[in-house]
Amino acid sequence: MTTTTMNYSHQHGKPEKVYLHPVPVRLWHWLNALGFTLLILTGLQIRYVDLFSLMSFETAVKLHNWVGFGVIANWFLWFIYYLFSERVTNYHPDLDPVSFFQRYFRQAGYYSWGYFQGDQRPHKVQPNDKFNPMQKLTYQFVMFISAPVTFLTGLMMWDVRRFQGLIEMVGGLRVVNTVHVLMFILFVGFIITHIYMGFLGKKPSSHYKEMVTGYEEEH
Amino acid sequence: MKLSVVCISLLVATACLAVAPATFAAEAAPDNPDAKCLKCHSKKLKKALEDGETMILQVAGDEFEQSVHQVIGCTGCHRDVPKGKHPSRQPISSRREYSLKHNETCSQCHAAKHMDYKDSVHANMVAAGDNAAPVCSDCHSSHSIQQRAVYEPVSGEPCSTCHQDIYDAYAQSVHGLARANGNVIREKHIQAPICADCHHSHDITAVSASDYLRETCLECHDGAAVAHEKWLPNAGMHMKSVSCAACHSPMADRRVDLQLYDNLKQVPVAQQDNEGTYQARLEEIDAAGDGLDSVELWKLVRQGSRQGEAIDVTLRGRMEVTTGVDAHRLAPRGQAVRSCESCHQGGANGFENVTVSISMPDGRKQRFEADKKVLNSVVSVDSVGDFYAPGGTRIRLLDGLLVLALVGGLAVPVGHIALGKYLRKKNRKQ
Repeated sequence: MTTTTMNYSHQHGKPEKVYLHPVPVRLWHWLNALGFTLLILTGLQIRYVDLFSLMSFETAVKLHNWVGFGVIANWFLWFIYYLFSERVTNYHPDLDPVSFFQRYFRQAGYYSWGYFQGDQRPHKVQPNDKFNPMQKLTYQFVMFISAPVTFLTGLMMWDVRRFQGLIEMVGGLRVVNTVHVLMFILFVGFIITHIYMGFLGKKPSSHYKEMVTGYEEEH
Repeated sequence: MKLSVVCISLLVATACLAVAPATFAAEAAPDNPDAKCLKCHSKKLKKALEDGETMILQVAGDEFEQSVHQVIGCTGCHRDVPKGKHPSRQPISSRREYSLKHNETCSQCHAAKHMDYKDSVHANMVAAGDNAAPVCSDCHSSHSIQQRAVYEPVSGEPCSTCHQDIYDAYAQSVHGLARANGNVIREKHIQAPICADCHHSHDITAVSASDYLRETCLECHDGAAVAHEKWLPNAGMHMKSVSCAACHSPMADRRVDLQLYDNLKQVPVAQQDNEGTYQARLEEIDAAGDGLDSVELWKLVRQGSRQGEAIDVTLRGRMEVTTGVDAHRLAPRGQAVRSCESCHQGGANGFENVTVSISMPDGRKQRFEADKKVLNSVVSVDSVGDFYAPGGTRIRLLDGLLVLALVGGLAVPVGHIALGKYLRKKNRKQ
């Protein structure tokens, strides 16, 4: 997969547009958004039948299982794409933690001060380095730890007998469920923040348009 | 030697029958030994026992004549009498003691049945000194012993003698009604079970001791496992963690029983071990006697794991009905609990009642009350690791964390927008 940069500035005098999100990434992202919305709704229904009734428990479980498999398959779409793409550098860990956390706190400072002052963003977005340190750490955790753990614990609960040995090894069904729910709770916090941060582009719609067109909006 | 005596007795009795008239009477031929016995024992004889009670020694000759043991005669069982040791001169401490002694007599001819009985919950209760536990004569009677076929009709005898309430529940169940109605089940002629078909005749195991009863259900309902898998997620786990009656006796009260289980030996933890009884340990842990809470339950499991040799104790949860009566009120399939919401929601009936149980020597369980909150406590993640019903036994702490995540997640945009407004206002002032 090659990095595409459309240099509008030379031909039309417009600012340069960077191709940040290739088709597989955008497809994965929106499928994931749909999948996680359904998983959260059905998950809440499974857990809180006594509090609200959007659908029957039986329907919620069936839907949760099917969508869960879809989201797992979708994760592999993301994983295989990045595995064979030069854009995998977006998820590479930073080998200089001191420098990384300096930039991390600089980014946090930007969101809490510079953003409101109209300062330049401290992180220059590039196709192979599109995440700022805060994003990078969050997405590394979400994609490499949180999502796989949620998938694995979900699979274990989908067919308890099939994964009986593994369930016993980790301490029982209650442990598996607790980990699954803890991951779900983290996702809930993450998704609310993620949706809000999406509005913090140059214009509130900028980042959302980027995830549709693939091109970085002007900054 | 004993066998030869029995054989001789049988031959003598048969020979006597061949020559004696069909009816028993005190005036029977003098060479008929049973007639000799009945000469006295057809009268209202009594014997004073050492415990102050009186034993009736009268035997109904006509009933004995109809019994299957008529062929071996009185001395087939009362073997001391021909040896000149008539028990009239020997003291008998109690009726129970006399019955227990003759229980062994039965085994001399019915060795296989007696071996089955010896491992049964009844025999274990007898061994534990339970005077209400049945011996052979309690079920089969002493002198009116009938063929097996006599017990089969829906009378419930002999089980109903002790288990009348359970038999009444059975009689109104899908099994009992079918049996009384010519065994017609779903327009087919299917032999509906009586007591012994499920519980066996002699090797009667404590129902709570193992999974055998569920296997018994599946012996007849051999398509049940597959049928459940068609609609029930994790059907295998449901069938392991939920007793058949918990769903198929829809009017029953349910509870969750947490049985102490040795994971290494794969057997229930016994009441007695080298360190004393679990009951004593439980009473020590739950000093207030107000039912085990989640921390006390955790202590019980942790302490169990530290006794002497390394053992891995855990609590195995199972939803079941609360009484034997409820277990027998089985309804037709269409009336069974089918709604997932019956269990998978907070406050469901089955999770309101929780017990902790330990295996007793006779195979039954000794139950101790536990606080129902143990099923919703984060502390139970370790101690009640294998029992979890989504929705029904959810951990309350996680509910709190979810609210915190929602509030925290919403606090980010609200806080950030508020910060922006504050800074812009401040900038304007400057």
